[in-house]
Amino acid sequence: MTEAAIYIDLRFHRDLYAGPAIDEAVKVFARFGEFHLSEAPDAWCLRLRALRPAQTRRLAHELANYALGLTVQRGGAT
Amino acid sequence: MQTAYPDIPPGLVAHDLTAAAVQLQLDATLYPLPAIYGAAYIFIDRCYVFLERPQPDQVRVVLTAKGGQADAGALRALVGEFANELLSCAWRHQITLDNRVLHETLTMQAIARSMGQPSLDDLANFDFSDQGFDDPLGIALSWEEKHGKKAPAATAPAATETAASPTEPAATTEPAGAGEGVP
Repeated sequence: MTEAAIYIDLRFHRDLYAGPAIDEAVKVFARFGEFHLSEAPDAWCLRLRALRPAQTRRLAHELANYALGLTVQRGGAT
Repeated sequence: MQTAYPDIPPGLVAHDLTAAAVQLQLDATLYPLPAIYGAAYIFIDRCYVFLERPQPDQVRVVLTAKGGQADAGALRALVGEFANELLSCAWRHQITLDNRVLHETLTMQAIARSMGQPSLDDLANFDFSDQGFDDPLGIALSWEEKHGKKAPAATAPAATETAASPTEPAATTEPAGAGEGVP
């Protein structure tokens, strides 16, 4: 997790996180911030910032927790 | 991140007090991914959990306190409890793998029994002509087929002559249905 200015970049490794789980997590948290999804060869990349700048870090943590929970419920990344 | 726990081998655990985070480096060959998922799932209500893969055979677990503040002792307790839970999940995962065949067999038997006995229509339509196995010793033959009386020969002597013979019993003395059910 890297933080530049008011944005936070998250890299969800493809071996550890399911892509649909991240999409679902972004949909759930869409009303709390601004999200930009992209793909890397080994990871799902997400740049985000909260509508309230002070909440950006918390938003990133909560979204990552939610994505991990969905990934586990799906039975893994694949 | 810096290592600050003398009771843990160096390079495995590091913490960042400003971020209230602690990270644990795991060998993926020792801890299978389902076990890591299981432990992480248990902890996502207590802290923020993030998984990374720094090396192909390693998984890094980052635990961040939800309050945003935690001292070194609290982070040490958090990572210790996570490691214990991880070991438990790994052991349960191994037990599941060891007993997979047993579980599948029991489940298959339970499903087969729940289907119930075949109805009379099913038996009437069953094709008994299909011989599924060889029976050279005649084990599958019924008692009547194996030990039943031969049909009377066409050249048999007259009834008056057979009645006089003491060695051959009369066919009518045997009750109907005798021998049924004898294996």
